[in-house]
Amino acid sequence: MRRTKPLALVAGVAALATLAACGGGSGDPTSPSDSGSFQETDAGSDKDANATAPAADVEGATSGGTITVYLPGDYGPDDLDPTNGWSVTGNSIQQALTSRSLTQYSVDSDGNATLVPDLATDLGQHNDDFTEWTFTLRDGITWENGDPITAKEVAFGIARSMDSKAFPSGAGTEYSKTYFANPDYEGPYTDKKTSWEDWGGVDYDNDAKTVTIHMSKSFPDMDYWGAFMAMGPAPLGNRSNPTTYGQNILSNGPYKVESFTPQDELVLVKNDQWDPSTDTARHQYADKWIFKFNADPDQTDEIMLSDNTQSQTSLSTDLQASNYQTALNDLGDRLVQQSTQCTSFLYPDYASTDINFRKALAYAYPYEDVWTAGGQVPGVTRTMANSIMPPGMAGKPDYYVDGEAFSYDPEKAKELLADSDVDSVSMIYYEPDPLAVKAQNVITKGFEAAGLTVKATPVQESPYSTWTNTSDKLNKSLNVRGVAWCSDWPSALTFIPPLFRSGAVYNTGGFSEASIDAEMKKIPTMDLDKQADAWGALDEKIETEYFPAIPTAYYNQLFTFGSKIGNPSGDEALGAPNYKNLFVMN
Amino acid sequence: MYAYILKRLISGAVVLLLVSFSVFALFWYGPSEPARAMCDTKTSNRCTPERLAVFTEELGYDNNIFAEYGRYVGGIFVGRDITISSVTVQCDAPCFGLSYSTGKPVWNDMKKRLPATVSVAVGGAFLYLLIGVPMGVAAARRRGSLADKALVSSFLVISSIPYYLFALLAYLYVAVYWQVPWLGEPGYTPITQNPVAWFGGLALAWLCLGVFGCTQYTRYSRGSMVEALSEDYIRTAKAKGLPTRTVVYKHALRAALVPIVTIFGIDFGTLLAGTIFTEKIFDINGIGLWTLTAIRAMDLPIVSATAIFSASVLILSNLAVDIVYSALDPRVRLS
Amino acid sequence: MSAPVAEETTELDPQKSRPKGNAAQISGKSPLRIAFGRLMRDKVAVVCMVVVVLFVLLAIFEGLLQKAFGVTAETQFPTQFLNLNGVPKAEFGPPYGTFVWSHPFGIAPTTAVDNLAYWLEGARNSLEIATLSTIVATVLGIVVGLLAGFMGGIVDRVLSFFTDFFLTLPFLLVALTIAPIVNERFRDGDHYEAAQVVLLVMVLSFFGWMGLARLIRGEVLSLREREFVHAARVMGMPTRRILVKELLPNIVAPIVVSTSLMLPAFVAAESGLAYLGVGIRTRPSWGQMLDDATGFFKEYPLYLYEPLLAIVVLVLALNLLGDAVRDALDPKTRR
Repeated sequence: MRRTKPLALVAGVAALATLAACGGGSGDPTSPSDSGSFQETDAGSDKDANATAPAADVEGATSGGTITVYLPGDYGPDDLDPTNGWSVTGNSIQQALTSRSLTQYSVDSDGNATLVPDLATDLGQHNDDFTEWTFTLRDGITWENGDPITAKEVAFGIARSMDSKAFPSGAGTEYSKTYFANPDYEGPYTDKKTSWEDWGGVDYDNDAKTVTIHMSKSFPDMDYWGAFMAMGPAPLGNRSNPTTYGQNILSNGPYKVESFTPQDELVLVKNDQWDPSTDTARHQYADKWIFKFNADPDQTDEIMLSDNTQSQTSLSTDLQASNYQTALNDLGDRLVQQSTQCTSFLYPDYASTDINFRKALAYAYPYEDVWTAGGQVPGVTRTMANSIMPPGMAGKPDYYVDGEAFSYDPEKAKELLADSDVDSVSMIYYEPDPLAVKAQNVITKGFEAAGLTVKATPVQESPYSTWTNTSDKLNKSLNVRGVAWCSDWPSALTFIPPLFRSGAVYNTGGFSEASIDAEMKKIPTMDLDKQADAWGALDEKIETEYFPAIPTAYYNQLFTFGSKIGNPSGDEALGAPNYKNLFVMN
Repeated sequence: MYAYILKRLISGAVVLLLVSFSVFALFWYGPSEPARAMCDTKTSNRCTPERLAVFTEELGYDNNIFAEYGRYVGGIFVGRDITISSVTVQCDAPCFGLSYSTGKPVWNDMKKRLPATVSVAVGGAFLYLLIGVPMGVAAARRRGSLADKALVSSFLVISSIPYYLFALLAYLYVAVYWQVPWLGEPGYTPITQNPVAWFGGLALAWLCLGVFGCTQYTRYSRGSMVEALSEDYIRTAKAKGLPTRTVVYKHALRAALVPIVTIFGIDFGTLLAGTIFTEKIFDINGIGLWTLTAIRAMDLPIVSATAIFSASVLILSNLAVDIVYSALDPRVRLS
Repeated sequence: MSAPVAEETTELDPQKSRPKGNAAQISGKSPLRIAFGRLMRDKVAVVCMVVVVLFVLLAIFEGLLQKAFGVTAETQFPTQFLNLNGVPKAEFGPPYGTFVWSHPFGIAPTTAVDNLAYWLEGARNSLEIATLSTIVATVLGIVVGLLAGFMGGIVDRVLSFFTDFFLTLPFLLVALTIAPIVNERFRDGDHYEAAQVVLLVMVLSFFGWMGLARLIRGEVLSLREREFVHAARVMGMPTRRILVKELLPNIVAPIVVSTSLMLPAFVAAESGLAYLGVGIRTRPSWGQMLDDATGFFKEYPLYLYEPLLAIVVLVLALNLLGDAVRDALDPKTRR
């Protein structure tokens, strides 16, 4: 019955957490964050175009049983339409179990994710400047009703992702509309005049089983975007009407939907039409999956720690900090720490602050205390951040803006503030969450100790509502905002431009430098193997030269698994449990 | 009598109109941007000002409130077609609009959740009376005895604990720590699907409601029984030489039950109107839990619908109470 | 369930709390003085009064007490005081350590704020809000009840309609819906903290006055046909004077009883709302402490029991006191 976390905390793959609830670890070598409890694997920056189907069996895996998944404080997706999915929860469940797409991730027992083909036979063939991608579909892929999946249906699914009005929460608005040809096309439901086949962004050949996507600009990451379920098939015609399809999807993965109650429960059962010999990564071990959304955090922890018959075949996607010690002792390796590839920032207003003020904030922010007060476990669910890109992303640089890691040092902050014209902070915090209030109190105390005047205004809706609204009066009065960003795939293309491009929606601090903008445009056109390092260098350049945003933490998540769940592990590509490889032990 | 009922029904309808309009207006004028909530959920917090404008227009927040309210009330009686995100949905009467989060007619979801709430309310209310009244009568008869005092004071202690804590502690101890075997995992299963699971899943919730609620009934029935027993006509009956049983159960109890009926009717109405704490703690997917989630998501159509629903239930239960009251107490005449 | 409305329904019972004034005149003492004499002879009532007075003193002198114990409710940098799981280290008292004088009640998990200081401020806020709400609700109830009962006719109809209207509004639903909206409106102002308190008092009292109003209306309806009121009218006394001088003294008893039962209901309701996340967030309150403590129940039960026992003891004492007052004022239930 603890008030559930604000929606914004786990809101989406490319989103977001409330600023005030975020904290940071400290670079202090005595702090637990450096104890090395994390093995930093590189999240899916490996690719294997030749992965073979069927997927190798998980060691010791047995069939049968029901797996119950508790999702505390997580409302889950409102609908299951693949085109509309852009939340960690919805995507991780559906991509693993019900809805296939062009490519997918295969996760080994150490948690390393590799990008492998899914419906396609390889990771796609592209032309030299990445403006045309062709995927060839496998033989034997079918819907849950036994009908074969055609190239036309895949092309139609891709065309659907252009309809940002019918699918406002889909990731297509971010990627399809940005990179695919003829971005003005409104999609098959909104643009009723043009047939989707005349859109020009996608061609298909049913006989050759090929789908070709045309880009409006260079898109080297199409293979990663292909791992989103939005880049999968949709039944033609009225069967996939957006009004109804989301509550009644046609599955093509190893499981199909038995029942779905939004914000409450999703029950999946085996799909006997799924053929393992067409799938490079998925398995079909359990007979049934029950997902319980918005479960009570206290009650879930009690159940998971009690090891009763009900909890033995269950897992939970969250653990409260108060139960961390107990879980660590009692659960052993059934407590899994998973990096979620997210970084949170304090984002001072670029126009009205100077670099000394921003550096002073970095010293006046009591990282570990904010974090503790916000209900996080120091060094476990939050670790100290030194760069924009989170650990595991290809090309992540190692540097310290001020030669060494920032730590709470009000005296140093005072020295820096002496050279700055700004001496006050105006920020907002999310009041309905008691933890956010506690964290804000600590932030205020820390800033005031450095001699700053702090005005913290409570808001009742997601702080992003204020931060992203450029005409809001309150927003205009702020000089420190925030943002927490997670990658959609392990390339900085999904990380740096959305936060630091001039005018980008989540560039909440309003950072704008023409030279940086130009570089962000140039990198995607470079040779594929040079892009990662180029992004890393840009990361370092932005922070050391301008220091527009103060990274306050990298995010990690805790999963707990019942004693009869086999292969308890996470999926680093999605920051979720590794649903593809779980099973019930006999 | 019929005229009275008609009069009450009409005033009830006026109250309903006021309630629904109040909630409607609250959302309309309350937040600075009423469409923001839906825009945030629909876009996973990527609600840009341009998208907000689209939602504001689609939800009709840029129209006149009375016109929109009129359309809403019209929809309840005859149904209407609603277009959101370029998709038109046919919403049959009674149409309470489309849920902002699921995009489906609210009434469809409501129908699914009603049986759960009714199950909780009926079971809980049944236990109120089953435990409360006999205990109260027994205590009143032994008024002043040690047993009476122990009962009254222990019940007072129970009823002084905030209900939600009582229920939460009960849940944690009974369902999680001790795992009482004959109680199933708390939750709701339709009775038509599996009567045993239905009973097992709700038993703890009923017990909690019953034990907590019956304390009030013990107090009420003890109080009114004590009062009834001190009335002159009881003394007369006793003096006439009627057996004590007859005096207590026929004469006194009947008089003592009158106020109990009043309270019970209203309590039952309140239970039906939504048991937010109970449904939340025991994971019962009824109207109460639904309302709570809807309020968090600022899902106006659901909140309005549940407000209208619970107000109607309360009005009808009040009316029913008055009618029963007049039947039980010959001194009361409805006019 | 925690709505004060439910508690107030006790007062709907028309059988109870009849006017008792006139008989007592013979002995030359006012009925209130007789009742007070009775009350002082009731041991339970005296104990309860002592407990309540103790709480009131704690609340009034919380600042001094904090200084005396050398504790403060100010924000701390928590990491140095806490284990990895957010629970205090052994050297700062329970649950892992023993009693320490620097923190008599221990320190809070997550924030490391001193529990005694927080608890004391919570006591003040809880009593302040409950008292303010009781005053507002009582005044509202008296005014509406007197006017409706005495004026009759159209005034009565309108006021009774509003009484029914408020009884029909689902309390929790409205409270939960209003809170974020009002908070949003006042967030920029300098009086945000005060606005939250006023909002909470309004929500509580606006849903707590109906029982009293109905009760008083009933009393007045029977009183206004009595000889002394007729006499006053014939003598040409103005309506206001009749209400205040003639009627009010005769309905003091039900007012006192209902007020003394309103207080505990509001204390409980405040904590229930805080548990659901409504209510004051800018100041310490027991309800918030409870909400916070449920997550640490297993490791740190003391943290939950501190506010829990405070609420239970205070509500219990107030309820028992209310019952004793009722008994003392009602000669029929006394021997």
